Amino acid sequence: MIEYILRGLLNGAVYALLALPMSLLFSTAGTIDFAVGGYALLAAAVASTVSGPLGLAAGLAAGVAASAIMALVFALLKRAGEAGIRIALASFGLSVALSSFVLLVWGTQPFVRSTYSTFLEVFGLRVSPQGLINLVIALVLVGGVQLLLLRTGLGRMLRAAAASPLAAELAGIAVLPLQCATVLAGGLLSGVAGLLIVYSSGLDFTASLSLTFIGFAAAIVFGIKSPIRSLLGGFAIGIIEALSAGYTSGLVTAMVPAVCILVFLIAAQLLAPNYTGDRP
Amino acid sequence: MTRGLLVRGIDVAFGGVAALAGAGIEVRPGRVSGLIGRNGSGKSTLFNCITGFVVPVKGQVMLDGVDITRRAPHQIVREGIARTFQTPRVDFRMTVREAVLCGTYATVAHGFIASALKLPRARLAERNCARATDELLDRMGLAHEAGRPLATLSMGRLRMVDVARALAAGARYLLLDEPAAGISREEQVTLAREVRKLAASGIGVLLVEHNFSLIRQLCDRITVLDGGRVLLEGDTESVMGDERVVLAYLGTRHGEEPPS
Amino acid sequence: MIRRLPRNSLVMAVIALVICSLAPLKASWLDFAVMAGIFSLISLSAGLSYGQAGILSMAQGAFAAVGAYVTAFFGTRLGWPTLPVLALALILPALLAYCVARGVTRMAPLATALASLALANLVEIIAKSWDSVTGGYIGIAGIAPVPGFARPALFNILVWSFVVIAIIVYESVMQSAHGRALNVVRHDRTRAIADGVAVAPLLSSMLALSAAMAGAAGWLYVHYVTYISPQSLDTGVSISALLMAVVGGASYILGPVLGTVLLSLLVKFLPAAEAQGLFYGGALVIILVVARNGILGGLERFRPRSDKERAPHVPHVPAEARATSSAPSQHEEPKREAVPLSSEPGAP
Repeated sequence: MIEYILRGLLNGAVYALLALPMSLLFSTAGTIDFAVGGYALLAAAVASTVSGPLGLAAGLAAGVAASAIMALVFALLKRAGEAGIRIALASFGLSVALSSFVLLVWGTQPFVRSTYSTFLEVFGLRVSPQGLINLVIALVLVGGVQLLLLRTGLGRMLRAAAASPLAAELAGIAVLPLQCATVLAGGLLSGVAGLLIVYSSGLDFTASLSLTFIGFAAAIVFGIKSPIRSLLGGFAIGIIEALSAGYTSGLVTAMVPAVCILVFLIAAQLLAPNYTGDRP
Repeated sequence: MTRGLLVRGIDVAFGGVAALAGAGIEVRPGRVSGLIGRNGSGKSTLFNCITGFVVPVKGQVMLDGVDITRRAPHQIVREGIARTFQTPRVDFRMTVREAVLCGTYATVAHGFIASALKLPRARLAERNCARATDELLDRMGLAHEAGRPLATLSMGRLRMVDVARALAAGARYLLLDEPAAGISREEQVTLAREVRKLAASGIGVLLVEHNFSLIRQLCDRITVLDGGRVLLEGDTESVMGDERVVLAYLGTRHGEEPPS
Repeated sequence: MIRRLPRNSLVMAVIALVICSLAPLKASWLDFAVMAGIFSLISLSAGLSYGQAGILSMAQGAFAAVGAYVTAFFGTRLGWPTLPVLALALILPALLAYCVARGVTRMAPLATALASLALANLVEIIAKSWDSVTGGYIGIAGIAPVPGFARPALFNILVWSFVVIAIIVYESVMQSAHGRALNVVRHDRTRAIADGVAVAPLLSSMLALSAAMAGAAGWLYVHYVTYISPQSLDTGVSISALLMAVVGGASYILGPVLGTVLLSLLVKFLPAAEAQGLFYGGALVIILVVARNGILGGLERFRPRSDKERAPHVPHVPAEARATSSAPSQHEEPKREAVPLSSEPGAP
């Protein structure tokens, strides 16, 4: 069982990288970017076509480029005074478009590369080396974002924008560019996630929505207040999934993200005060 | 069974701060009760308790002998307590008639499916709502403006529409939230006249106001709130003349000792 | 306002008449008309829930799938007669939608959208694995056509009759007290509550109605295509339906039908089937940025203000309505999002 947990932990590291942009964007802009899985997919597709380190760079660039489209759409919609739900809908459209683009250009082939064929033995447990690399990268990135938020001027501005966009605007913080930057950061982080998945379990053109899903599930488990929570959320989802894969059927495992989302959304609502809405 | 809206012993706390402590008020059918107090004295909170938007920790709201303290706000409307809003909450594209018609929803007993299938009971209810709306518009002197969009109305007229909308719900008790704020002298006169007519027709009115002349004209009894507690309750003359009320509203002059 | 002409229903009846007269002239037209009709029902379903109830539901395809599987299972596998099966195909999705909606309507709009996506995902997974009922990955085949409507031209008439009926019911609701209440809810929930509106049951009823429409589409689909599999009516369908509704104008009763017919025609010109997602996704993004109220919304700007049966999401009061000088300066934005305290998902 420990092995399942460990495997879940390592998988969860990648999920954390998908959860992080979600929670950042929701805190800063009050909306969800459904295309996060799409950025990961595109990055994965490009990277596995152009091999080597150049491929990695190209993949990341592709992910960021795709998120740049979203950032532009985001800016246009926010300027027009649109609410978060319509922006989320637009990101959904982008997500579908990205999946279709990948299908069109690359077909149905899976994107997977493996560099390590043997497993390491750590304290009698089998651990995949790629998994460890994933974990390290995730820790570094999450730690980096956490430091950025807490220790830098940029981070302070982001937190201010998250707490109250209006107040931040009045204090002279350029909120909209910050929010756009968050979208772009999402492209980068998901791109990294996509690359890591290519070297781990692989993915194909259908993965876009399921990755977004997992990212969201990981984001809401412990709340969106800090990057560390995304990391822990990623681990949690990874572990639940791995345990489910080990002890129950594939059916139950496939349902894990959706069930987690429903459970946490409903639980959050039950904990929320009875009357939601502005004071009369 | 005692007829009346009786609120007793209300305690409300928001995150450790006591907004109301032992507050209460009485509204009898056909009478106008005033609720006055400084900003922050808890008037709005008490108002929201009665209308169900805030649930008190302690205390009761009794409507004609029935405890409605923990009922949902929309249910309380259907029980016969309707309110107006200080800032008009309206869709400005609607016409006067449409706005008042919206208020009749509280009297609708048929369900969604009956509406969807246009069952006879739904059609009958629609006709009744339309008729009730027209009668109300006549009664409140709004008939000649029935087709005007709300965006073209002055604040005073908007308030009258708000009152009509509350009455359309079949209210037996009407809660008016600072109806005189932001309206002209003539409109205040109209307002006072309409409120008196409503009380005369048997409706119990709770008037929250800062406008003392209106309070004096309309109210039979007044409750004064200060710091979440009832400072004083009694008939208009004695309350308005009481020094403590003046002090509570205006505070003391700098350096002066408050009277013991 | 009560005894208004059911304008949308009449227009729809005329459109349906035209389609049913022209379509039989060519076999490909007939096929197009049938699929467009079935899809119109699904996008009406999306338009009703998003445009009127403000619930962005990604689960309309799933509701259609439920209707389709119900038809396949009870009709073909168990051999039940047509009408009871149709009744089930309408009722089961509606019941599912109502129950789920009661659980989620107090959530922030984004949370509701996500919950619907999660629901759709679950339905798809169950369809893939409940072999005994749904036939698993392979699905169920060999569904017989509707008795008496085997000929394509006749079936086409049946399909578009369903669309007309759906519009009639939609319009009846919007012209009723409940429709008025819905408009108020969309604008300002607190105002609606003060009018005596029980918000959650009302929104859930709308979602149930939308699910019944989707279920009807599923019933028709399965009788036409004669098989159902998990891939037939999946999330892609939900997205396209939503897109078609938004393009046509989600808050207009006829918007989704317009969007469906238009986009289905345009899709024919695509170079490859794989590019469909690109087209739909791109179109959705473009329409949201350029014409937020869809085509009918764009057209409305050129018409004098007359319609009251819909309330488009216009952020500002039109200038001509704000004529009088004594109008108060505290005009609120008609399009308000209630600021929900529970907008942050997850544990506080």
